[in-house]
Amino acid sequence: MIALIRYTFATMLHTQRYVAPLLLFMGLMGVLTANGNGPLPAAYASSAGAMFVCSTWLAMAVVSLDEPPQRAITVVTAGGRPLRVLLAAIGTVLLSCLALMVVGLAFPLWLGDHAVTAADLLLGIEAQLACALTGTAIGVLCSRQVFTRQGHAVVAALALLMVALFTKGLPPVNGLFTLMATTSDAAPLLAPAGAMSALSALLLTAATAATHFTGRRRQ
Amino acid sequence: MLRLEAVGKRYGRGRWVLRDVDVEAQPGEVVAFTGGNGSGKSTLLRIAVGLSRPTRGTVAARPPVVGYVPDRFSPNERMSAAAYLTHMGRIRGLTTSVAAARAGMLLDRLVLVGGRQVPLRSLSKGNAQKVALAQALLVEPGLLVLDEPWSGLDADAHGVLAEIMTEVAASGGTVVFTDHRESVTRAGATRTYTVSGGRVSLPAPDSGWVPASDIVLTAPGGGRAPQDLVWEELEGVRTVDRDAAAVRLHVARESADALLLTALRHGWSVERVAGMPNAATSGDPR
Repeated sequence: MIALIRYTFATMLHTQRYVAPLLLFMGLMGVLTANGNGPLPAAYASSAGAMFVCSTWLAMAVVSLDEPPQRAITVVTAGGRPLRVLLAAIGTVLLSCLALMVVGLAFPLWLGDHAVTAADLLLGIEAQLACALTGTAIGVLCSRQVFTRQGHAVVAALALLMVALFTKGLPPVNGLFTLMATTSDAAPLLAPAGAMSALSALLLTAATAATHFTGRRRQ
Repeated sequence: MLRLEAVGKRYGRGRWVLRDVDVEAQPGEVVAFTGGNGSGKSTLLRIAVGLSRPTRGTVAARPPVVGYVPDRFSPNERMSAAAYLTHMGRIRGLTTSVAAARAGMLLDRLVLVGGRQVPLRSLSKGNAQKVALAQALLVEPGLLVLDEPWSGLDADAHGVLAEIMTEVAASGGTVVFTDHRESVTRAGATRTYTVSGGRVSLPAPDSGWVPASDIVLTAPGGGRAPQDLVWEELEGVRTVDRDAAAVRLHVARESADALLLTALRHGWSVERVAGMPNAATSGDPR
């Protein structure tokens, strides 16, 4: 699995498909955390929002990275198990998101003047983790494995992103943001944010299984 | 070893691409599938390597190590050929140093033009095909499956490919390949199946045997070397026999004139043309 992730990572870097999602992440971070004071949970909700959109795009790009003949070779090389190749792509996306998470945690602190507690940082990690997992789930579902036409995939991804971001109180993304925007103390939010992360992990598992079986049926 | 039993394949509710396919390939065998475009050859190979699942029937006795060469491999990547092969070797469980050494050896043997560090996306069709072939051989395969492997390769690489297929078979592996030209499958395979309309059959030895000509071509005198041609690619060619002095071709009668014209244009000299008695009618008085 490590060799597969290494290969997927190398392909992602060589094809430079990471550039656009990365720029989007940086842009969103810059715009959303423009005002440098106020409670830190609200700032970390912005980081998590940027992470959410970026991880969706990155997952779509990385899962659809290989042309079909190249993917066929990779699947046969990986012992004829396409699920391993899909999991390696998801692993690559999540590892990249971990690197972005460091930026998402540090950027509001660098830009603004906040009093930081351990609970704040933990909440920031949980929120970004929940968003990275949900974003990856949407991206995997809207990849070339499920949608043969790129246009349909983009429309579907945008629709799912909008629903998750703006449906009032819908867990995990909007529900979490509502909590973080209305509470200035991080400590009581840790438990619900942890629950949202767990729910996001379940969503990603379901999306992976659905993508795997759709791709398998089409073959 | 590979066994397909009563395999059928359709995509969704579409037409049946393959129907009632029974194929058995023993270790040490080189099995060819021949058939026109869209006859279902590629689908058959995808089922053989496990990329596609048959709608009906089963695939049994597939060896653990499978090498697969798809019909076109045109990666749009900056990664170098050597780096790509090293990654593939690692995925197969080799260490980095072993994978890199094996990749280098295979690329040297296949004579990759431009060297090992050339980016994949700048490779020509034939050179990309060589990389595709190399990745299938990083670990000695128990089953080597090649989809139209001869197309796009130059004449030298044809020889290496034939050697490699023989070696895999000799060490107990099973080789399965397709080609749309019967000349290639007849020459390289121990058994040839015909794929047509989704059905697979073993042709009777004398079926489809049309009158043929035996042509011997040599280099003309005066030190001018003729241009090397990929004879197998020419229309109507059944078998090709090369040696140092001459090329001996077995050609369908109706294609012989066109072939002679091509040969002469490329600087070859015609030494002999003979009508071949054909197997089906040799006993008939005419």
